Amino acid sequence: MDPMEVFKIEVTGQEEFGAKKYRELIMDILQDLGLIRSIGRLYVYVDIHKPFFAVYGLLRSGIPPLTVKDVGDVLRVAGGYQVKINDEEHMADLLRALWERYGRERVEQPARDIVIIASDTSPSELMVADLEAEFLQDLTDALVRVAPEGFRNRRNIMTKDSFFFIAAEESLTPVMVSEIKGKIREMENA
Amino acid sequence: MLEPVMFTGGLYKHDLVVELVEDLGGYILQRNLTQTEIILLILVPSEDLAVLQALAKELRGELVRAPLAGTEVAVVTPTLAIHHLPHTACDIAEYLRRHGSKTNMLGLARGVGREIAQINEYETALINEHDAAVFIFGNFQECIKKKESLYRNISVPVVVTGGPEIEAKELPYAFEYVPAIGRVAHRARKATEIGTLDRIVESVGRALDKTRSSIAKDPLTTSPPRVMDSVREQVPDVQFSYSPLPIALNLTGVRVKLPYSAFKDAVKAVTFDEGVKLGEIATIKPSRMKDYILVRILSASETGFVF
Repeated sequence: MDPMEVFKIEVTGQEEFGAKKYRELIMDILQDLGLIRSIGRLYVYVDIHKPFFAVYGLLRSGIPPLTVKDVGDVLRVAGGYQVKINDEEHMADLLRALWERYGRERVEQPARDIVIIASDTSPSELMVADLEAEFLQDLTDALVRVAPEGFRNRRNIMTKDSFFFIAAEESLTPVMVSEIKGKIREMENA
Repeated sequence: MLEPVMFTGGLYKHDLVVELVEDLGGYILQRNLTQTEIILLILVPSEDLAVLQALAKELRGELVRAPLAGTEVAVVTPTLAIHHLPHTACDIAEYLRRHGSKTNMLGLARGVGREIAQINEYETALINEHDAAVFIFGNFQECIKKKESLYRNISVPVVVTGGPEIEAKELPYAFEYVPAIGRVAHRARKATEIGTLDRIVESVGRALDKTRSSIAKDPLTTSPPRVMDSVREQVPDVQFSYSPLPIALNLTGVRVKLPYSAFKDAVKAVTFDEGVKLGEIATIKPSRMKDYILVRILSASETGFVF
């Protein structure tokens, strides 16, 4: 079963096999990059005679930025605050954010998973990583990987809740873009 | 006739296998040492195979037929980008290696796309130095048919792989077409996927058999393994080559992995027991691969004798 609500793929000509395989390929790549849960609907339209490759997707609700309290437990201790790290994946980002806010001399790491900050203000709301920006970056990477390789004229329009990606061999013309948009709209309404 | 086989076993007493093969008049083509394991690619006279099998059994080793041993196959992808590698191309190359072939992976500079796909003269010549080529294409039949221009000028048999079913008559320049292995983003692990890899190996085997039978009509003056053995003995610098396989075998000759300008004369001067020099029975020319030496043995019709 697809984890997405809608996943439609349409390829012109006698290319049922290609359509089926591209569905598997897109799932594999989105799964590899951990993006599949953030995409609600996905429409893929490929015209192999022109040729171009287009993807339109709707994103699930936005991802809030990661704060210090999300990666560890913040405790008030004598002389400042202590952060006990639970999620080491973002350790480098956390240290960078703390150094920027408090300065290196006030951030101490006595153990691998303990950071002590010599400050009176709590770091719990400090942003560690902008996950949404990271997600959009990963999504662009995924789309470039999914598109057939020779299709090097690309356009990628990303909004807060959707993305629209076109890749073609020839230069993209406004006529072509509006034609593709029309096709995708047809798929959406079908 | 020499039978190509692969011996896999422990390092302990493997020299008995090497000695036996030499005593039987066979050749050790390749020796891969992995810690305590050894893999030997061997050519052994078919009438003496039973003796070698008995020794392999005694040493608790495994002896299997390696139909592609002594051949060099090019695995060609449109580029070396993430779209084609690692899964499909590496799986195919690795599978061919397991059947004894020396496999070179080759990514074209501008092989991508449908309309814009190109191959240049250098790439064509490099592929032509191999015994067969496997071209890996994608999932759309329209593109696979269109990309025929990439291998139209290649003189060695070309096995084309791709996703959809396409009739052979639609790809007249391909030796064979193997479907069901287009662009995939995962490793081949299902039985059906492994089955497709088997079909590619069979197809490459048939392509090589075709070349072998055409060589048999006008046999080579001497066999490539014999040239390999003599070069190894008489050009000792070859053992200092950093390449894992310093002398690569082809069906029509060998590639000696030493700089052409410095060693061409030494290779030409290699002398056989019959008193013939290699330079007299083979063309020695620079290989398109790095600065190596390409030895192409002349056929009996050109030299007038076979030994």
